[in-house]
Amino acid sequence: MARPMVMTLFPETQAFAQRSTQAQPALSVRNLTKRFGNEIVLNDVSFNVAEGESLVLLGPSGSGKSTTLRIIAGLETPDSGEVVLHEREIEHLRARDRNVGVIFQNYALFPEMTVAENIGFGLKIRGVKARKRAEVVDRLLEMINLNDQRDKKPRHLSGGQQQRVAIARALAYEPEVLLFDESFSALDPHTRVGLRREIRQLLRRLRVPALFITHDQEEAMELGDHIAILNKGRLEQIGTPQEIYNDPQTEFVATFLGSANVLKGEWQDGLIRLDHGYFVVPPHEAFDIPIDDGERVKIIFRPEDVLLSTMLGVAESPYHLGEGEVTEVKFTGATEAVTIRLLNSPLRPSRPQLVTSISEHTEAKAKECFVKTLRSKWDARRVRLAPGNRVSIGLKAHKLLRGDTE
Amino acid sequence: MAVASSNLSAVKKKRRFDLAKPTGISLVVVAMLPLVIMPLLSIFIFGFSKGPSHFLEALVNPAAIFSLKLSLITSSVATVCNVVFGVLAAWVMTKYEFRGASALMIVISLPTAIPTAVAGFALLLLWGPFGLLGQFLEATDWQIMFTTAAIILANIFVTFPLAFGTIQPALENFDTNLEDAAETMGASRWQAFRYVVLPSLRTAIITGALLTFARSIGEFGSTIMVSGNMMMKTQTAPLYIYARYNDGDVEAANAIAIVLAIISFAIFSLIMIFRKRLER
Repeated sequence: MARPMVMTLFPETQAFAQRSTQAQPALSVRNLTKRFGNEIVLNDVSFNVAEGESLVLLGPSGSGKSTTLRIIAGLETPDSGEVVLHEREIEHLRARDRNVGVIFQNYALFPEMTVAENIGFGLKIRGVKARKRAEVVDRLLEMINLNDQRDKKPRHLSGGQQQRVAIARALAYEPEVLLFDESFSALDPHTRVGLRREIRQLLRRLRVPALFITHDQEEAMELGDHIAILNKGRLEQIGTPQEIYNDPQTEFVATFLGSANVLKGEWQDGLIRLDHGYFVVPPHEAFDIPIDDGERVKIIFRPEDVLLSTMLGVAESPYHLGEGEVTEVKFTGATEAVTIRLLNSPLRPSRPQLVTSISEHTEAKAKECFVKTLRSKWDARRVRLAPGNRVSIGLKAHKLLRGDTE
Repeated sequence: MAVASSNLSAVKKKRRFDLAKPTGISLVVVAMLPLVIMPLLSIFIFGFSKGPSHFLEALVNPAAIFSLKLSLITSSVATVCNVVFGVLAAWVMTKYEFRGASALMIVISLPTAIPTAVAGFALLLLWGPFGLLGQFLEATDWQIMFTTAAIILANIFVTFPLAFGTIQPALENFDTNLEDAAETMGASRWQAFRYVVLPSLRTAIITGALLTFARSIGEFGSTIMVSGNMMMKTQTAPLYIYARYNDGDVEAANAIAIVLAIISFAIFSLIMIFRKRLER
């Protein structure tokens, strides 16, 4: 069942180069569903990984990302759905017949084998003769720069070295896809950053498709050509890191990748009545389907997209949210974090309808609503702010979402 | 920091002399002298009291040599059987969940709790001339009781859970990710077992084998029931010691006792070494 072994080896591999010309996605996951007992772990998850591309499955623990990886690897069977690897349906195949390379969380290096034996294991199983095997192992050891450690047992290596061995071991038999299962979480931060860069370069050169599993957004941003966000077994959004960050389709995506302010409310007479008790003018964008009064909406925006101005009422930004009072200013190095409490009093006499104070009854119910903002050093110096200052809040970018689901 | 710790040790040194410590240690040693240490020493003292030539003479007696050989052979066979069984049973009990698993666990562990004479008697009842299975053998030329096979069966019975007992926990602790890794790399289940699982169990297997062997080679109670204790036929080393002593030939008994004791010491040291490794 295994593909014919092409023995021209790394770094420039024919097999990978050939595959890269195909238009079809290298790996395709279609409508995967998986239950453990009553609990639904994966709910109709579909995505593609193009040839030579890396996709990061990002999600909190319990989101189903590890199960997805194990299903692709053949270590778990889906209840329904398909896994297609280079136009070959593989979901019914045993793990050993799939020709995938898995880099496990704790590397799962074989403790009783030397580094060289670990790397050569896949080839040994495939019946590759010892001499050929040694050639490949040598080349891979060279690649990961561990030639002098070849006869050591894995436990004598550092975490970073172990991970490089795990990668070399997976690459040795030229898998059709590489699957990284939280492969960086056990490393110290310094090693992690260095290794990520190395792996990214390596993947670019080999053009082997890769799937990373992680809960670390920084890692996702750095490693992924595309990022897929999983939450409670559902795929929330898939796209380039820029798309996901700048144009989140759900509140979960916005808050999981980066931080975001979420103002919830409902549509009322062409305004948005926030749950905190007061009204803001909705942004200009129109919905395709007309919106009814009482329908739930959310305004989502990132802290760095907030423009603060001491000139009250002047909208320097595309969307003027309202007025607020500075409650906290915190210097964090590269940026300044400013917390603003939304004010519900009409601060702009010229256009009083924009931020509307409502009946006292409602006002009494109003809860405090805080907005997190980040300013550049430049802005911080230009417009100095201190707690108690009144500011007008403009948004350079925002997202208006309908519905109340996360 | 360094100053602080040296101060601490100074405080420790200044502590008053504690009488309980030397008293406790001497009590243990004094108690052990007649109970353990002196009996063991007396084997060697008596064995060599008439000079090494006497000892060697007693040793090269054909019946003595035969009994030692028989013990080594039967113990080895029993050890191999129980290690193979131990690995298999450990695998089944660790990897699979099934109804009656805990009952099976008890049955596997039971034999060491049964008095050896009872074990031997039970085997006799099963395989003896009127036994459940033995009555069918009666009609054939095959005979199990009072042969080498009986000794092996008895050894297997009394040492049954020993290898399992060391292998099963080791397998329980084994990182199943390693098997998954082997499988994704193309290994069949057997290959994963052969190249990845088994090497990791090596220390546990050796320890289990040594325990089984050590227990087998000294087995007396069950062996005397099932072997018939026939000199040059089914007489193992422990039976030889007993038989010689009964005949009043203390020197002959002593010579073999020394050999058995030395073998046991050697195995015991090995077990200690491998136990340490297992704990790592």
